[in-house]
Amino acid sequence: MKKIHSVLTLVALVGFMSCTSDSSDDTGQGQTDQFDREAMLVNWADNIIIPSYEAFDAEAKALKAAADAFVATPDANTLNDLRTAWESAYFSFQNVEMFDIGKAEEVRFSYRLNTYPTNAAEITSSIESGNYDLALPSMVDAQGFPALDYLLFELGDSDSEVLDFYTTDANAENYKTYLSDLTASMADLTTTILADWKNSFRGSFVSNTSSSASGSVDKLANDYIFYYEKLLRAGKVGIPAGIFSNEVLPEKVEAYYKEDLSKDLLLEALTATQNFFNGKAFNKSGSGASFKAYLDYLNTIKNGSDLSGLINGQFDAAREQANALNDSFVVQIETNNDALLETYNELQRNTILMKIDMLQALDINVDYVDADGD
Amino acid sequence: MFKPLSILLTATVILTSCSSEDDAGDINPVLEIPQDYTFNREGNSTVSFNGQTTRIKMSEEIVSSFTDFDNATEASIMAQFAHTAGNADFSDADLNASDKNVRSKVAASVDYYNTNAVESQAIKSTFDDYISKQVSEVFPNQNTLAVAGTAGQIADGTRTRYVSAQGLEYNQAFAKGLLGALMTDQILNNYLSVTVLDEGENRANNSAGITAEGSSYTTMEHKWDEAYGYLYGASQDPANPNATIGEDDKFLNEYIGRVNDDADFNTTAETIFEAFKTGRAAIVAADYMTRDAQAAIIRAEVSKVIAVRGIYYLQQAKTKIEDGNQTGAFHGLSEAYGFIYSLQFTRNPQTDAPYLSATEVTALLDQLMGDGANGFWDLTPETIDAVSESIASAFDFTVAQAASID
Repeated sequence: MKKIHSVLTLVALVGFMSCTSDSSDDTGQGQTDQFDREAMLVNWADNIIIPSYEAFDAEAKALKAAADAFVATPDANTLNDLRTAWESAYFSFQNVEMFDIGKAEEVRFSYRLNTYPTNAAEITSSIESGNYDLALPSMVDAQGFPALDYLLFELGDSDSEVLDFYTTDANAENYKTYLSDLTASMADLTTTILADWKNSFRGSFVSNTSSSASGSVDKLANDYIFYYEKLLRAGKVGIPAGIFSNEVLPEKVEAYYKEDLSKDLLLEALTATQNFFNGKAFNKSGSGASFKAYLDYLNTIKNGSDLSGLINGQFDAAREQANALNDSFVVQIETNNDALLETYNELQRNTILMKIDMLQALDINVDYVDADGD
Repeated sequence: MFKPLSILLTATVILTSCSSEDDAGDINPVLEIPQDYTFNREGNSTVSFNGQTTRIKMSEEIVSSFTDFDNATEASIMAQFAHTAGNADFSDADLNASDKNVRSKVAASVDYYNTNAVESQAIKSTFDDYISKQVSEVFPNQNTLAVAGTAGQIADGTRTRYVSAQGLEYNQAFAKGLLGALMTDQILNNYLSVTVLDEGENRANNSAGITAEGSSYTTMEHKWDEAYGYLYGASQDPANPNATIGEDDKFLNEYIGRVNDDADFNTTAETIFEAFKTGRAAIVAADYMTRDAQAAIIRAEVSKVIAVRGIYYLQQAKTKIEDGNQTGAFHGLSEAYGFIYSLQFTRNPQTDAPYLSATEVTALLDQLMGDGANGFWDLTPETIDAVSESIASAFDFTVAQAASID
């Protein structure tokens, strides 16, 4: 953690100094430009966030249904269906994890669905005792997609060995119950969040146009960049590649037990974050007001450089690097970790462009810091 | 902001190395300040601080035991805290064999507690209480979600924290209090104390190069090194500790590193290390005025680290409370609680007293816990700011400088 800490501090300093000359106009709390923030919030809510949650809600329900079918009849077919549903939902989830606001933040959605590496010992002891509460903070690493990754792919070397845990094992009933509980909680949490967006949160979200720390733009911008920096850049790439440790940590890749998904999950997340930056509607054509539009608007009146172009170019550069990687980052780390480090570098460049330059242009303060790890 | 410090440091050395009229002796001392903290006599190293390394390791194990729900008991943690040689209190056989323990050195400096046994005992009891309350209040609620007035677990990102009914993590209060009551007190008020350094015939022996019996070092050299050991005793390379500063223990070393990451305080680690080296070289050269000037630098800087980090955690917690995440603030507040407690062991070289007295510290902690019936659950941003300002006003930096790492 320390290395990145000082790098960021340094970068922050440099960025700060190099940018102060052209920001003489806006120092107060209120919005100083005429950009239509509400239109941006409406685009975010109606064309991106809610549709993304609707899609994921369907996926989470399908995952639960597949688990129910498997539990009713555990065989190779239902296992295969369940694995497919898990994979499909995991991809869909990459489109909502960044929206850690409102009910999602309240129920700690991202943590409960995607904390990895998962805790196999905690999972096993919970199953054996049959006594657990998935809402407890200490259970956060024994549920969600990573726990399912373990339960569906790691229990045995072959399908039949995996199936044994759900059929002949002394704790087979408990294994099935745990699988049902995990998928049910994932679906329930998702439905709760989606309902909240549709019932009440959408209204307060789009009307809270204040350009203060509690305004929707500031909050979601922070959530977005936190996601990009901590979960995408660090979680999916930097941590396993050993950026923050003395050695590589292949056991910390996303979907570790499935093995061949880590690259595609990264690419999905990368596309989702880039699309959000550009205000592109989810799963349909067209785009609306966005960070990109906001930056372009400000640049027009400030006659500044085309920051949005730099950011999009950097997204593309990161994608190009990532595309060349092995499907499995575990294999990538073992064969040529430098390529993963290169991908990290490209991702890191956009951390700087967005966290420093973009937030400064939008006059948004970063509301989080690196924890010191204890 | 930082240049003056190093200029001051240089000035001190120049000034004192020219002052041949003092009681340092009849030679004009020339300081040989090594690159690393390496000092030899006739080819043998004269640097030794095993006891300090041992106590840092013991402290680490004690703190870990606070959340060892499956194995620890009040008796087992107390036995670690007040270890007796030969008892199997620790996982490390060397620690078990050691005749050192942590508790006897809590609030035990010559300068602050030699004639203040009542207060020393009260402070030891505070640490005893953290242990007993952790086991009696928090352990039973290991799998309970904490709410106002009820101990249990809370979420802190992916981490799970275990708090009292007031929202306080006793393990944090213990650890961050210990870096004051043990490390800071022993360094600033014991081993760097003129009373200790010059005790008995120490000065005459040191000036004459008479080593302690069976050792390669003079007693005075050893005392200084023991101060050094409480900061750097767990370092990967204790002779060059700033290479890994902040990564080597969970006590003062860690937080010198963290404070040094803040651009407002980024000479802290170097200043402290240089002062230790210079002071040690001064002892070798029998230049006691320089020695004491370096001790003053160390006292000011280590004290500042505790204050900066306390305010930092308070302000980070304030941001979370303002963001509507009250429980998310508890971890930072618990760290701050321990750092504030530790302020009573700091030492202002101008007054030779703590920057904040024990009475003032108690008042600040009461203030932090006093916004309602349930401590941190009721704490407001206004109170956090008031406490932060009270701390900063005793030092020469601002709340804003301490609040962020920029």
